[in-house]
Amino acid sequence: MNKEKTLLRVVSALSSVFCILIIVLSLSACSPQKDNIYQKSKVLMDTLVIITVASSSESGAEIATNAAFAEIERLEGLLDFYSPESQISLINRNAGVSGVQVSHDVIELIDKALYVSEKTDGAFDVTIGPLTSLYDFHKHVRPDDKTIRKNLALINYRDLLLDNAGYTVYLKRKGMLIDTGGIAKGYAADRAVETLKKQGIQAGIVAVAGDIRTFGLKPDGKPWKIGIRNPNATNDKDEIFATVQLTDMAISTSGDYERFFFANNKRIHHLLNPKTGYPSEACRSVSVIAKEGVFTDAFATGAFILGPVKGMKVLEGMGFGGIIMDNEGKTRLTPNMRGKVEFQVAPS
Amino acid sequence: MSFKSLLRDTSWADRVLFSALVAVSVAGIFFIRDVMPQGQSITIEVDGKPAYILPLDEDRMLSVEGPVGLTTVEIKDRKVRVTDSPCRNKLCVKQGWVGSGSIICLPNRIVVIIGNKAKKKGPDAITG
Amino acid sequence: MQLQDKYRIALLSAYAIGIHALESLLPSPIPWMRFGLANVITVIALMLYGFRTAMLVTLVRVLLSSLLTGTFPGPAFILSLGGGVSSTLAMGLAAAVSQRLFSAIGLSIIGAFFHNMAQLVLAYFLVIQRIEAVLFIMPVITLIGTLTGALNGLVAAMVIRNLKKDIIEKMTVD
Repeated sequence: MNKEKTLLRVVSALSSVFCILIIVLSLSACSPQKDNIYQKSKVLMDTLVIITVASSSESGAEIATNAAFAEIERLEGLLDFYSPESQISLINRNAGVSGVQVSHDVIELIDKALYVSEKTDGAFDVTIGPLTSLYDFHKHVRPDDKTIRKNLALINYRDLLLDNAGYTVYLKRKGMLIDTGGIAKGYAADRAVETLKKQGIQAGIVAVAGDIRTFGLKPDGKPWKIGIRNPNATNDKDEIFATVQLTDMAISTSGDYERFFFANNKRIHHLLNPKTGYPSEACRSVSVIAKEGVFTDAFATGAFILGPVKGMKVLEGMGFGGIIMDNEGKTRLTPNMRGKVEFQVAPS
Repeated sequence: MSFKSLLRDTSWADRVLFSALVAVSVAGIFFIRDVMPQGQSITIEVDGKPAYILPLDEDRMLSVEGPVGLTTVEIKDRKVRVTDSPCRNKLCVKQGWVGSGSIICLPNRIVVIIGNKAKKKGPDAITG
Repeated sequence: MQLQDKYRIALLSAYAIGIHALESLLPSPIPWMRFGLANVITVIALMLYGFRTAMLVTLVRVLLSSLLTGTFPGPAFILSLGGGVSSTLAMGLAAAVSQRLFSAIGLSIIGAFFHNMAQLVLAYFLVIQRIEAVLFIMPVITLIGTLTGALNGLVAAMVIRNLKKDIIEKMTVD
């Protein structure tokens, strides 16, 4: 009888332990409410804008995302080169005539654009309007050499005068045109992120086409993972050639495959050299990583035009992260990116 | 030998246990289904607003009306393509079959987004 | 241990192994999900001959089956052992707490439940490692387990009743 009693006790003890184990296991899986990730997209600024946010509720995410889209739309209204009502068009119409008073956003953007123009020695030039307007990537139109030469003379960022105190912008010579295409998207991404933060979102991504600004960490505590499109992609699988993990940083990529057409077997793409008037051919893809999207966008454009060697130098000098793939397929990294880029397709 | 008499021999505890377990597990199944992420679907947006949300596993063909005209979208074998669109350079059509990501027809303001089950290895966004 | 005990255990184990082997020949959409008919033997052993016999039968069955199928000492063996021991322990405890509370059916259901839970826990640590996957299938497995457990219990009850009939007949004849 005693043996059975002990056996019974042992059995009860073991079973209780076992039950507790199961309960503990199930409970450990119920962690405190983690945020979910919500994503929404909208066509704005002539491209697809995708906003990703981490939020505890779908309605919170919806409200914040819509506010961010509204902000981008507002900026588009101010900056659109092709819209006669935009402030940029107003400045352009008054080139050589008078200065135009503009909103804080526009002054801030142009101020930053001039800064980048200086730092890239004019490779990025926000007054490139007279050149870009000669090309049409929808209709596959490109200008003849004579017209290009004529218009090159109208491009000079030094003739763009800014009065920060009076909020006035003045283009000195008639025919000069400001085109913010190479910097506006990055700027919009920055402002959209600010809007999201004001709405209480603590982590997310604003991607205005390839100009991306991230903030915060994902709900699982990991940084956001951003892939860089492969200029030589042939199918779904090799779509990306590298990924980076970003925490509170922006990344922009300028590539010759974004807007282009072929003419006489040559690729005519949208990254035009303001000094020659033709698409710059030394690079295939330039990615820049920095704190602000406005700079990653503009410097990516500028570095692309400067070419792999000079471009890399400028990025290093600015302390930015840079990933440049040249037209031979060779990839260069700024020293601060070494070990931080995960290559999916083996770099040559 | 009859089952009926065997069933009569069951105690109240047996029956309570059986019913309770069945009830809890069935409830669990429904609960889990609610909490699990949605199956793959595609969203077609016109002018930034979702117009259609369709499951990926049903083959179909549909025409979406945009400001410029009708864009025809085809779903087959869990892949999507745009077969026809009123835009000039037909870039959206040229993309062919797409299994993930999106197809955009900018002139007609139509975006087809393939809702991807969060690929563990996939990036959260793509630049370039 | 008395000779009769040894014979009993050997016989029951043989039945259990045989049933288990035959059952694994049956096609099934989910490879490791079985009716667990071998558990019928365990329940019968428990109810007629006591906990010790039942546990020994389980251990012998698990060990020999594993050796025979060549899955010893891999994960399949661990899962089988864990499931078998847990279910027998649980059933033994339930029976010890009160002889009258649960019938063969109730005991079988309890056995099935603990068998499945133990295997899920072990599978999580050894194989799956994704808690969402385990939690996801838990309700389904519990449901199936409860139903098959009840069925096994009915079979066990049927066999016990017939055995008891035999014993009573033998006794009256004597």
